Amino acid sequence: MDYLYDGTFEGLLTCVHHHYYTEKADGIFTKGVYQPSLLNGYMEVETDEMKATTVYEAIEKKISTYDLRRIYRVFLSSDSDKEMKILRYLVLGFRKGSAVSMLHGDPVVYDIESLEKKVGREKERMLQFVRFSVMANDVLYARIEPDHDVVELTAHHFCDRYRNDPFIIHDVKRNKALVAFQGQWYISHFEDRDIPDVSADEKEYRRLWKNYFDNIAIKERTNPRCQKNFMPVRYWKNLTEVNFS
Amino acid sequence: MEAIMEKLKILADSAKYDVSCSTSGVGRRNNGRIGNAHAAGICHSWSADGRCISLLKVLFTNKCAYDCEYCINRRSNDFPRASFEPDEIARLTIEFYRRNYIEGLFLSSAVEKSPDYTAERILEALRLLRYKYGFAGYIHAKIIPGVSQEILHQIGLVADRLSVNIEMPNSESLALFAPQKKPKQIFAPMRQITNTLIERNSLVGPGTMFKGKDINSPENYLGVQQISSETKSFRALSTNAGRETFAPAGQTTQMIIGAGGESDKNILTTSENLYHAFKMKRVYYSAYIPVVKSDILPDISTAPPLAREHRIYQADWLLRFYGFSVGELFNSGDENLDPDLDPKVTWALRNLDKFPIEVNKAPYEMLLRIPGVGAVSAKRIVRQRRVSAVKFDDLKKMGVVVKRAKYFITCVGRYYGERRFEPDTIKNSILQMENGLQLSMFDNNWKALEAGARQEKLSAAGVI
Ligand code: SF4
Repeated sequence: MDYLYDGTFEGLLTCVHHHYYTEKADGIFTKGVYQPSLLNGYMEVETDEMKATTVYEAIEKKISTYDLRRIYRVFLSSDSDKEMKILRYLVLGFRKGSAVSMLHGDPVVYDIESLEKKVGREKERMLQFVRFSVMANDVLYARIEPDHDVVELTAHHFCDRYRNDPFIIHDVKRNKALVAFQGQWYISHFEDRDIPDVSADEKEYRRLWKNYFDNIAIKERTNPRCQKNFMPVRYWKNLTEVNFS
Repeated sequence: MEAIMEKLKILADSAKYDVSCSTSGVGRRNNGRIGNAHAAGICHSWSADGRCISLLKVLFTNKCAYDCEYCINRRSNDFPRASFEPDEIARLTIEFYRRNYIEGLFLSSAVEKSPDYTAERILEALRLLRYKYGFAGYIHAKIIPGVSQEILHQIGLVADRLSVNIEMPNSESLALFAPQKKPKQIFAPMRQITNTLIERNSLVGPGTMFKGKDINSPENYLGVQQISSETKSFRALSTNAGRETFAPAGQTTQMIIGAGGESDKNILTTSENLYHAFKMKRVYYSAYIPVVKSDILPDISTAPPLAREHRIYQADWLLRFYGFSVGELFNSGDENLDPDLDPKVTWALRNLDKFPIEVNKAPYEMLLRIPGVGAVSAKRIVRQRRVSAVKFDDLKKMGVVVKRAKYFITCVGRYYGERRFEPDTIKNSILQMENGLQLSMFDNNWKALEAGARQEKLSAAGVI
């Protein structure tokens, strides 16, 4: 049986519930991108808060809070098969308990580990590569286009860094944004037309930074390969220092 | 703005040959109005030479009254000059920081008028940054040799890390290349920093060199320090004297490689002395890039000795983390490290009588000395063999570089190196292996090779 769900985390937990109590899932897909398969029948899973909560608490109790957080991070990845990978991990987890995360040799665990690593790495990269602009009313605004849906994972770090500055990190690809002020944050729908006006001296500081960036390199040691290795070109689009014109 | 642009251009240009730019060593939540310090350090960008940009690295001024032979800013060099105003540098830092361009400030300086005149202006800039702008991010301040105790102390109270550059590995070179800097003016502030850290029970020391030893005990106090009356009264006045931090990320220094005629042994002996005397966190090395014409320095067309710098970093790592002494690294009477092999391998080949080492029996300190075994894998070996014998196939999973280590170990009594156990055969196999690796990973272009190797050295992995 193929499941079609709404793409939310609660929706996925509801699917896990159905896998145990209705009929086993052969595939889990987001509605809208699903190509009906000839082999399996399919059913639409409606997100059910009660069922999701049951699964949520069962994971906490029978596996661990650590693994709950872990599958959430994996859920944020853009891997096309993440739902089934999570399901297989949970099935194994309900059998092995909190020891599941130690079974490094098991391919089911390995899948989760490698997706988690990808998401974690991109989150770290966002802490490095997010570039804010100071907007007219002193709001900080940044554009990002990460491969995985990591914007909310950056909240902790930036809320501490900018405790007194309101800031917005806008995931342009997903039309959403992290909006935060004084340690409080939420995720909201966000589009280009919502962007506040830029402050008067913003351009000047961008220019100063670009100028600094170009100047600090030692000519005798030029090494573009090394540079691109650490700073993959796909992130350059939103980097002030390589993009300012 | 145009004026600042010009200053930034000149003063960043003058600062870029400084190598130490790590922000690691201090983790702190935002305790000001803006900013925090990430213990692992964050690189925000990489410049075209492949170096990480983490801090805004600038000079406060390059209008230097001194005339150090090797320095682009020396008085006699005809060169554009500029000085920041304290508020300009504070403002620039905070504006860059807000935009997530940087993690903090690395402020160095030439000597304008006198050490104290310059240091006072630096202090003013740092205070503005901390107090007017509420900045809680990372600050690394260079201390100018000859600065007075009071000002040094005040700078330590606002900075995270302090460094006094030693520049040259011995006093003859210092007298020759930096005639206005006297050894005493360099060592006095180093000593003061160490003593202050001991007073505050916060001296950390280099790597694992003093692990298990109480380096903060009063007997490590360096000589008698004359505390001037001003410093005393400041301490008494300050309401939270005991609680405010003094340079929590410790002290470092920097030495230039290849300007004078010093040997590797000379350089590393000086580092070892610095580690023992001042227990500073680390010594940075900077391959000399000829930037000025001089009769006593390498010709302007000389390539910077990057490979040599790399070997010295590896040896330094062995001092700080692997329990080696400089004496051991050079015991065959050589003055320089083997350019072809990493110093740990060279040491092992010279001491083959200690090998092969049985990984299931050797004490931790010996495991650390096996080429291809790092601190992490040595710990894993010790942990696992308590439960069951470590087998050859386990080593790779434990992070051991097996293709290097196999020549030096036995595993449950068996030797796995495919050649005879003799220095020359082992050396040849390792050389072949490394050359093969380098050829496949890099072009035959020395720049790419050296710079890549350089990054490796700066990474936490170091030599294993
Ligand atoms: S004191 Fe010497 S090394 Fe420092 S800036 Fe002046 S000339 Fe250069």
